Amino acid sequence: MAGVVKAPGAFAITPHKVSVCILVHIYASPSQISVPFPFSSVSQHNRLGLYLLALTKSCDDILEPKLDQLINQLREIGGLLDHWLTDHVTSRLSSLSSPDDLFNFFNELRETLGGPDSGVMEDDQVILDPNSNLGMFLRRCILAFNLLTFEGICHLLTNIGIYCKEAISSCSSYELRRVDDSGNDFESLSEYENMDLNLVFKKINEEMEARKRATEQVSFHLHLPKELSTLVEDIEVSADPKSEHNDKGRESSSYASGELLRDVDPNGGVFLRTNWQIQGYLMEQADAIEKHGSSFTLNAFELTLRQLQKLAPELHRVHFLRYLNNLYHDDYFSALENLHRYFDYSAGTEGFDFVPPAGCNSFGRYEIALLCLGMMHFHFGHPKKALEVLTEAVRVSQQHSNDTCLAYTLAAMCNLLSEIGFSTTSGILGSPFSPMISVGTSLSVQQQLFVLLKGSLKRAESLKLKQLVAANHLAMAKFDLTHVQRPLLSFGPKTSMKLRTCPIIVCKELRSGYHLISEFCCEGSTMTADGAFSTAWLKNLQKPMGSLVLSQDNGSRNNYNPFLFFTQPSSIPGSVMQLVGSSYLHRATAWEIYGSAPLARANALVYATCFADASSSSDAALVHVKLIQHLAVFKGYKEAFAALKTAEEKFLCVSKSRILIMKLQLLHERALHRGHLKLAQQVCDELGVLASSVTAVDMELKTEASLRHARTLLAAKQFSQAAAVAHSLFCMCYKFNLQVESATVLLLLAEIHMKSGNAVVGLPYALASLSYCQTFNLDLLRASATLTLAELWLSLGSNHAKTALTLLHGAFPMILGHGGLELCARAYITEAKCYLSDPSFSVSKNPELVLDPLRQAADELQALEHHELMAEAFYLMAIVFDKLGQPEQREEAASSFKNHVMSLDHPHDVEDPIQSDTLLNA
Amino acid sequence: MSSKESCRIELRTAIRQLSDRCLYSASKWAAEQLVGIEQDPAKFTPSNTRFQRGSSSIHRRFRTNEITSTPPTGVAYVSTPVMEEDEAIHGDFYLLAKSYFDCREYRRAAHVLRDQTGKKSVFLRCYALYLAGEKRKEEEMIELEGPLGKSDAVNRELVSLERELATLCKNNTIDPFGLYLYGLVLKEKGNENLARKVLVESVNSYPWNWSAWSELQSLCTTVDILNGLNLSNHWMKEFFLASIYQELRMHNESLSKYENLQGMFTFSNYIQGQIAKARYSLREFEQVEVIFEDLLRNDPYRVEDMDTYSNVLYTKECFSALSYLAHRVIMTDKYRPESCCIIGNYYSLKGQHEKSVVYFRRALKLNKNYLSAWTLMGHEYVEMKNTPAAVDAYRRAVDINPRDYRAWYGLGQAYEMMGMPHYALHYFRKSVFFQPIDSRLWIAMAQCYESEQLHMLEEAIKCYKRAANCNDTEAIALHRLAILHRELDQPEEAAFYYKKDLERMEAEEREGPNIVEALMFLATHYKTQKKFEEAEVYCTRLLDYTGPERETAKSLLRGMRIAQSGFPSMDVEHFHP
Repeated sequence: MAGVVKAPGAFAITPHKVSVCILVHIYASPSQISVPFPFSSVSQHNRLGLYLLALTKSCDDILEPKLDQLINQLREIGGLLDHWLTDHVTSRLSSLSSPDDLFNFFNELRETLGGPDSGVMEDDQVILDPNSNLGMFLRRCILAFNLLTFEGICHLLTNIGIYCKEAISSCSSYELRRVDDSGNDFESLSEYENMDLNLVFKKINEEMEARKRATEQVSFHLHLPKELSTLVEDIEVSADPKSEHNDKGRESSSYASGELLRDVDPNGGVFLRTNWQIQGYLMEQADAIEKHGSSFTLNAFELTLRQLQKLAPELHRVHFLRYLNNLYHDDYFSALENLHRYFDYSAGTEGFDFVPPAGCNSFGRYEIALLCLGMMHFHFGHPKKALEVLTEAVRVSQQHSNDTCLAYTLAAMCNLLSEIGFSTTSGILGSPFSPMISVGTSLSVQQQLFVLLKGSLKRAESLKLKQLVAANHLAMAKFDLTHVQRPLLSFGPKTSMKLRTCPIIVCKELRSGYHLISEFCCEGSTMTADGAFSTAWLKNLQKPMGSLVLSQDNGSRNNYNPFLFFTQPSSIPGSVMQLVGSSYLHRATAWEIYGSAPLARANALVYATCFADASSSSDAALVHVKLIQHLAVFKGYKEAFAALKTAEEKFLCVSKSRILIMKLQLLHERALHRGHLKLAQQVCDELGVLASSVTAVDMELKTEASLRHARTLLAAKQFSQAAAVAHSLFCMCYKFNLQVESATVLLLLAEIHMKSGNAVVGLPYALASLSYCQTFNLDLLRASATLTLAELWLSLGSNHAKTALTLLHGAFPMILGHGGLELCARAYITEAKCYLSDPSFSVSKNPELVLDPLRQAADELQALEHHELMAEAFYLMAIVFDKLGQPEQREEAASSFKNHVMSLDHPHDVEDPIQSDTLLNA
Repeated sequence: MSSKESCRIELRTAIRQLSDRCLYSASKWAAEQLVGIEQDPAKFTPSNTRFQRGSSSIHRRFRTNEITSTPPTGVAYVSTPVMEEDEAIHGDFYLLAKSYFDCREYRRAAHVLRDQTGKKSVFLRCYALYLAGEKRKEEEMIELEGPLGKSDAVNRELVSLERELATLCKNNTIDPFGLYLYGLVLKEKGNENLARKVLVESVNSYPWNWSAWSELQSLCTTVDILNGLNLSNHWMKEFFLASIYQELRMHNESLSKYENLQGMFTFSNYIQGQIAKARYSLREFEQVEVIFEDLLRNDPYRVEDMDTYSNVLYTKECFSALSYLAHRVIMTDKYRPESCCIIGNYYSLKGQHEKSVVYFRRALKLNKNYLSAWTLMGHEYVEMKNTPAAVDAYRRAVDINPRDYRAWYGLGQAYEMMGMPHYALHYFRKSVFFQPIDSRLWIAMAQCYESEQLHMLEEAIKCYKRAANCNDTEAIALHRLAILHRELDQPEEAAFYYKKDLERMEAEEREGPNIVEALMFLATHYKTQKKFEEAEVYCTRLLDYTGPERETAKSLLRGMRIAQSGFPSMDVEHFHP
């Protein structure tokens, strides 16, 4: 009752456990030689043992399997033995007809166990170690039986009867199959079994009759009223489909099982698994919800939960699962309600791994409630509310000196601060809450974030929370990647601090995350691993043999145990995999920013191949986005859109937004290249809409949208407007310290001024961008800034062509090594232009020096359908050919030039399907 | 309303029919109302009427409006023909079955009636089976109770009963009692819509079965459902409406219905008890106490509704009366949830919270869904500083009835005690949502906003305003409003609320530091506003009090006079150091 935390030892003896006990008895029957009677080989014997172990540990469902499910599994496991095993189990079960039989049965079981002084046992004798898993199971069963009252034993007996009866309905079909596929040798055996089952059937029927007689008073009068007799038949008939339903319903849809519950319940045939198994099941489901997000089925799981709640009202963890389920299906009110309910009932002390059981104080752990509530608000896009709640969580966990919770709360805050961007947080953290930030409130949000991150990392390290340490390292790496480190105090010697980011630090942070994979076992998640192992093992029983990856020797099925191989990969907990995976994702991003395309791609590929199983759907979507973007830049749009199509199918409703954004980005680029300016603007506007959705303003996306807006204006040759947009964007980036973005915007400004013919004005912007890139080690961006600088010099007049060429040649290794198609082409064209405008260069002497880059450029641009640059390349080519006096080739180049100019001016109206359906969708 | 005499005849028949079918609590209820009808004094000897006389004084004192026994205009009551008894053929078997039933041997009773086809016999057989199933269920609930509170014990007769009753219903061979039982079964099976329909049919064809009405009431959880019911007009419907209004927290409507009914059933203890409960919800404790005293005089062994009485005594801190009541109920029936609750209340009042919890627990053991016991136990745990237990108890109350604002309020308080004001706000919000007219809830929420961790004064002001609007008897809201506005540097608003607070304190003739504070503020405020006349009034009033304020008032007065007469005040200060 109230306030008392229940011991988790709910272990009740049920019919299923009785049959497992029978099997254990077979497995380790006393006074037998090393390979007991029914088994023909050691491996067969071991196989049964493994199966029993898995049966007691697996957590794939909340209910215990029915007898026929057990029989089905035995058939898979037992090989040649299955008949014998099932016969034995059923006959043993049906022989339990009075309470005394049960007493004797459990007494017999006791012999299976070795005594405490089992040192004196003889060789070759199979005796179960009382401290082994199965031994413990047996002991618990015996203990639970001994604790039963007489009423309890009566209930057990009735339930065993029903348990057998339910199996019988499916028996007839089973039997036919058996007779068919077993050879003549088994005929006698199956006959015997038939007889036995008939016996059982008869007995159970008798009992049911008796029950009916007792309850309904109808069956034994000869002159019984007609309707009533039909009524009885009704009951009989309806009982059968019900249990049949039961066999299949479990797997096909849990909706059916939810329905089923209401009907079956009165018969008392439904039993929960052990508490341990249920907790494991719930944990697995929680992982699944978090992993699959909204694609997890809401209603089916809700029904399971309702069933569970009905069967175990004091198991409050159900409410938490319900909360998670609602959270990921965006049901704010139910999520809130269930969160509160869970913590009201459990006081935060039930089911959390991270709470050291020794430190349980009497106050409850409501700070965890605050932590969860904060994360919930964050999930629903109320960052301000989330911060308020997390602030309270910090205070309460300090008050109750719950350092673990404090560390997690701080990590959550860091996550929140770095996720929401910095548009909205100003002034929130300034509240006098945080003794963490003793420096005062004058710090910028980034600085506060930095302090928080450091503090959180330190706490996590001192508390030895491996996963949290790894997560914090990742966050730290992310911070280092995008923010210049500044001295935290506004006084003191500033010169000692270099104002720059350092890739080495980032790498170091990322690498520290890897230690996790060798140390994960410290965090007490062994239980899940164990359970998951057994679950996977049992599930693989159902898989057809042909699907085995490792089946080299198909012939010797008996000696070969496929089950062990399957379960190996699952021994690392999913959360660890996820963290390690996301460090790869971070690496990919880091390389993307630093400008190494091949490394970025390699890391993304590693993630997609190795961690796809463990990743959450949003991470998986992100990695797809990265790979597709890479394709678009290096292989052109055709391949990118083909890849996009498969990605869209994969993430159909899961995380539409991320894929959608990428699609819009691709569409925008292509429209710009093709010269579809109207379409480009339209797509750009859509992006803008996505940026400020209902939940919160996404600063990153907003920057992106206005950057694209400026580029569209630039392409439309509205220079002053483009410059104005870019300028205001720069102001925003500066205000919110989006430094990496600032570099891009500056470069764009330089380009705008160059295209508008004010090369002199453009120069300082290009130089400023260069210095930003240097500070942040943005190598690729720096190369492209150098390229723009060269172009600027070139447009200042032909006497600067030499300078431009030198600059360009300096940047060439980077551009050709890591740059995309467009960048390379631009570099080639600029190179050609430099040569051409150099008065000391003569075309006729060295034509290939110009023609070669131009051809290269034209080739590469083909994939991008970039009409503007293509036209330029062909124009230059035509001039060169003209100078060389090759009119035929000149004409060819000229006509290509004309084509491209035409298509640029009159963008053809052939709409491809991708475009049109996006516009419909959006 | 039909005449008293016809009512009486209807009830007499109904009582006989109900007890024939062993529907004892319904028949008890009907009998109570029968006796509650005012007798015509001309026809009866004083000894007959003496039983009823005792309560007349209270009726005169508290009846707000004189009720006439005419129905509200435009309402025509249907007259339901009293049912004819059908069978006398298998009467002997029936008699045997009924005696078994009376000895609580339900299965035997059902067995005796196995071949009887008369409606009455069929009903009694089904009802006996149902009760047998219930009894077994209760037993199994204890037998099967596991550590996770496995509660899947069900009445195993429900399936067959439902089938049989459905067949009867389809063949149209079911009587209203059968319908009642069918409704009961459907409700337990979770088929609420059909259950409602069946029960409505039952009460429309046989309105005197109060058990059917009660079941129907438990199925009407919102006003919309209630309005959707198609009930024919009968005076029993008035009882139903009065009762359900109370359940739906429409206390005034309920009260007026009951007072209307009292015109006819002048001496009904039931109505009296219900009126007391309604008035309790309206927090009219004085009247409730008088009603209960009267009720106990007439019906000294009554246990029903006495928990409400004990709550009143608790609030009024009547130690001896509460102990007397507790003593009385324990002599009457120790194992009633109400009795345990009363004792729990008594211990709580004595400050012995551990003992109090023991008794609340016992009450809950007797009735797991006893709402107020959960809430009261939560209060006890709060007193014992065992907040997790308190939270758990409150949460159980809330899950039984989500509209229980006291439990929501308790949850909020518990979390506030733990220093989680932001978390507590969620619960306070729930609480005020379900009971927006209770100033205490608004004040609690405001204090939560005011707490140093949140310090959201604007929101606190909003809450205090709501509190001030709903009859804040302890007069906290106005005072706090004034102080908050003063702190927020809004002197106009502060002055407004100080003035209101002052008026209120004058009206209630209260004394205390608050008056001085208000006077002080108003005086200085008006002085800075240069409204010297008002300022002077307040200063003069301040002179009636002792303490430093008096001196300040004096100097203020002096300053004002000098300012008015045009002298620079600085000089004056120098003259009188």
